[in-house]
Amino acid sequence: MSIKAFELVPAIERIKLMSDKARTQEDTKNLFDNLKKCIFVLLDRMSGYMWQKFIHRNHFVVHYTIEEKTSTSGKTVFHSDKQGHKYLAVKKPINQLKAASALNRIMVLCDNTLILLNMFDLEPIVSGAKIKGVTCFCINENPAYGNPFSVEICVALKKKQLQFYTVTEDRLVHIRDISVSEPAVALGLDGSFVCVALSSQYCMINFETAHIQDLFPFDGEQNKPLILRISREEFLLSGPSALGMFVTSDGISQRPPLQWSENLINQHQKQAIPFQGGTYLGNFDGRLFIASGKEIYSLVPVAWEKQIYRRFQQQAAFIEFSQQNFDEARELFKDGQVDVQEVISLYPKLLPTNTSFTRSIQPLHEIADINQLCRGQDSLLTDYKTFLRLYLEDIRGTKEAIGFKQEIDIALLKLYAEVNSPELIPLIAVDTGCDLKDCVDWLEKYNRYHALALLYKYHSENDKALHIWTRLVNGEIKDEAFPGLQFVIEYLSNLTDHELVWKYVDWILEKDPENGVKIFTERPPNEPQSERLRPDIVIDYLHRFPKAVITYLEFLVFQKKMEKEKYHTHLAVLYLDSVLQLMKTNNIKKEEIDIARSKLRHMLQISNLYRVQLILGKAKEQEMHAECAILYGKLEEHDKALRILVHKLKDFGGAENYCIVNSQGKDPSYRKRLFHALLSVYLDPSYEHKENLVKPAILQILPENWSVNLLSQFLNRNVRKSLNTCRTTRIELCNRAFGDSSFVRYPNGVVTHVHCAKNKHICPVTGKLFSTKRS
Amino acid sequence: MHLVKITTVQTLEKDLKVIILGDYAVGKTAFICRYIEGKFKTQEPTIGAAFFLKQWGPYNIAVWDTAGGERYTGLSSFYCRNAGAAILAYDMSNSMGMKLDLMTPESRDITLEEGKKLARELNENIDISKLPSDPYFETSSLNGQHVNEVFEFIFQHCLPLTEAQRKAAFEKNSGTVELTEKDSTKKSCCSK
Ligand SMILES: Nc1nc2c(ncn2[C@@H]2O[C@H](COP(=O)(O)OP(=O)(O)OP(=O)(O)O)[C@@H](O)[C@H]2O)c(=O)[nH]1
Ligand SMILES: [Mg+2]
Repeated sequence: MSIKAFELVPAIERIKLMSDKARTQEDTKNLFDNLKKCIFVLLDRMSGYMWQKFIHRNHFVVHYTIEEKTSTSGKTVFHSDKQGHKYLAVKKPINQLKAASALNRIMVLCDNTLILLNMFDLEPIVSGAKIKGVTCFCINENPAYGNPFSVEICVALKKKQLQFYTVTEDRLVHIRDISVSEPAVALGLDGSFVCVALSSQYCMINFETAHIQDLFPFDGEQNKPLILRISREEFLLSGPSALGMFVTSDGISQRPPLQWSENLINQHQKQAIPFQGGTYLGNFDGRLFIASGKEIYSLVPVAWEKQIYRRFQQQAAFIEFSQQNFDEARELFKDGQVDVQEVISLYPKLLPTNTSFTRSIQPLHEIADINQLCRGQDSLLTDYKTFLRLYLEDIRGTKEAIGFKQEIDIALLKLYAEVNSPELIPLIAVDTGCDLKDCVDWLEKYNRYHALALLYKYHSENDKALHIWTRLVNGEIKDEAFPGLQFVIEYLSNLTDHELVWKYVDWILEKDPENGVKIFTERPPNEPQSERLRPDIVIDYLHRFPKAVITYLEFLVFQKKMEKEKYHTHLAVLYLDSVLQLMKTNNIKKEEIDIARSKLRHMLQISNLYRVQLILGKAKEQEMHAECAILYGKLEEHDKALRILVHKLKDFGGAENYCIVNSQGKDPSYRKRLFHALLSVYLDPSYEHKENLVKPAILQILPENWSVNLLSQFLNRNVRKSLNTCRTTRIELCNRAFGDSSFVRYPNGVVTHVHCAKNKHICPVTGKLFSTKRS
Repeated sequence: MHLVKITTVQTLEKDLKVIILGDYAVGKTAFICRYIEGKFKTQEPTIGAAFFLKQWGPYNIAVWDTAGGERYTGLSSFYCRNAGAAILAYDMSNSMGMKLDLMTPESRDITLEEGKKLARELNENIDISKLPSDPYFETSSLNGQHVNEVFEFIFQHCLPLTEAQRKAAFEKNSGTVELTEKDSTKKSCCSK
């Protein structure tokens, strides 16, 4: 019975009205005095919600068109346009105004006289039909006679009498009179019944039989009686203590009273608009308008009214539902704000088992469940389930779903599981309302094991989740939604319960050591250190899986950049071992060994932390020159290293590179020293070279900014030495080496082979002519 | 403390309408709440009226709770219209509330005999001798004493169920298991 606060929406603002208003000071003042008598009249419901409204104040009738819109924020706003206004030539203000749209007439009660006006020009009708001595009148919205060309009305006369008329375009046809004990102050009509507020009590009168039934008394001093026809054969009356009392035409109540006006009164009194103080209440096509004293035109879709309207919508929703008019049903479920549990409860077993839900005390429908509706027709059952799924998906996460997340998600889970929907996994994976209690059995029943494991995971039951995945991997159970071992590895690599990680590591690594090691290498970046995952422990454990150890050590050395000699040496040794292993293997492709060796060399080169001697010993044994060169470099035995590069490996580019790499990050003079060393190696005469080593290319390796002075002495010495060697070992003319001990020497110093000295007077190199006299 | 007045008029909408009337704060709402929800809750004064629905075998029963406050007096007779039975509730001792649990022999204002007498007078139009017991009960909503019996008494009178129907109804509804237990108490009372 809790009633929501009222929503007051201004329909026509004060300002607008003021400016529209006749201009005299007098009128402006009167405006406020008479505003309490303003009335909104629904003329027509056009496309959308368009109302024509006539408001009257003083002697004016103003005609507005009002359009209802819903703003983006979901608020109802009204847009009004003034269509015209009419000054009525009457001395008293207007008391009541109603529209008879079908007749294009408006009925105006003024100075106790009821007259008819043309709706469009607001002129009195020609026949001049009128009723005098009227205190109030009312239109029958559920006509007893149902003639479409007339409107039934009831008027209350000052002389304790009610009169019934049918109104045509130009006539008021008197039907009958009924006498009452006191003058009537308010009326409501429906069918053959008129609900009347006399001066101290309400009664219900059947005007066909003239039977009068007393309802209940009211305090006429405090409360102005109000009668609002809310539906066929049902009225809402204002009762004591601001109660809204429901009364049927039979004079009984089928609903508990509403405590509606408490809010209304409070709200209004703050604005000095006492509800009792002669305001007007009107219900038009499910919209309710209240005209009030000062806040000029308040339009109020009043909560209790909405609530009743809502109940009709709700009942209609279930009727549409039972007839498979699903689109209509869905709209009505939403508009009528039907408790989603009411809908879910129609589907056996879809509500959570621990639900405290019971269907509405005043039943909204007579449907037992969908099985009753489907009577064994499977396709219909599917349609009903599809409907529920769409409806729940539609409201999930919206404000309609507030407070029902669990119910909605569990129902969706059950629906999805049944049809193996791809939506099942996303529903469970993030922010789900599904609990374990209900869903475990259901998911098992439909073999949705992966989803079940994910649900366990969501509820931090990791062991249970892993247990299911283990069984899936082992093929004990099947679920095609399960992505495979890789998924479990990823899961473990993110699992913060390290104790639990260990429980499954063995099983994973047996299955797939190469990927399994990712459990250790792909941990979350900011995971806190734990004793259980200390590298030493992991390495010890991984012993059985050689490839996994390497991957793990690579991870420690290269990725985590751990500066521990132990890991570096271990990795270097393992690399070396795998090279040696390959070299021992028969029929192995050379590239494979090359790849393994270059991995080793890369490691040896970039790390400075491994035990060089240990590796060097083995490398020398195996005549792995390139590796030795790097290792000597680490020991700063550059001479040895360069000698290997230049003389053993003839890798001159490598030698140059060596100088650059090994001097990186060091004093510039260090690099000089290295290049000195390299030059010395190149120029070392103790090595026999068939070619001249002092090629321009070698000089090119010398950095440009080195001063020649610095090198001159060295170069001089070496070049001379080298030249000498050349000279003494080569013949200028034919550039061939001496083959025997005999040679020819010309006076200018040119030495040639004997067979090259064709003419002893002419130097074959320079062409110089020597005296033939001397011999 | 409840008197039961039974009439034969029944509404069209519901199979039976039962209404409870009585002065404010005598414990009407607590009494209905004890029956419907099976527990005792401290109640705010009722405003106007309230409405509950109860299943009785194949029938729907509307239980109307009214407000005892003075300003609602005008509404009581209105809400009584079409009721099949009315429960008139009053204080056993006007000084301290009608609650049996609070009752001592000294604090009692209205004797058991007086109560029964009034109940008989109110039900002049029916043959009391055919009823299983006097239409008069002394109850406590706090500990549940005799609460279910009152409703059982009324329902069984207005809408008699066969033994089989009763069994079926109670098996379906766990909330009424309690009621059958109380039922046995009531029967033993009657046989005396
Ligand atoms: N000890 C005791 N207290 C009770 C019992 N029944 C009701 N009360 C208390 O008496 C007070 C009034 O109870 P209500 O159930 O609100 O009385 P009511 O007749 O519904 O009152 P109105 O709604 O104002 O007509 C509450 O504080 C209850 O907790 C009872 O059987 N034993
Ligand atoms: Mg109460």
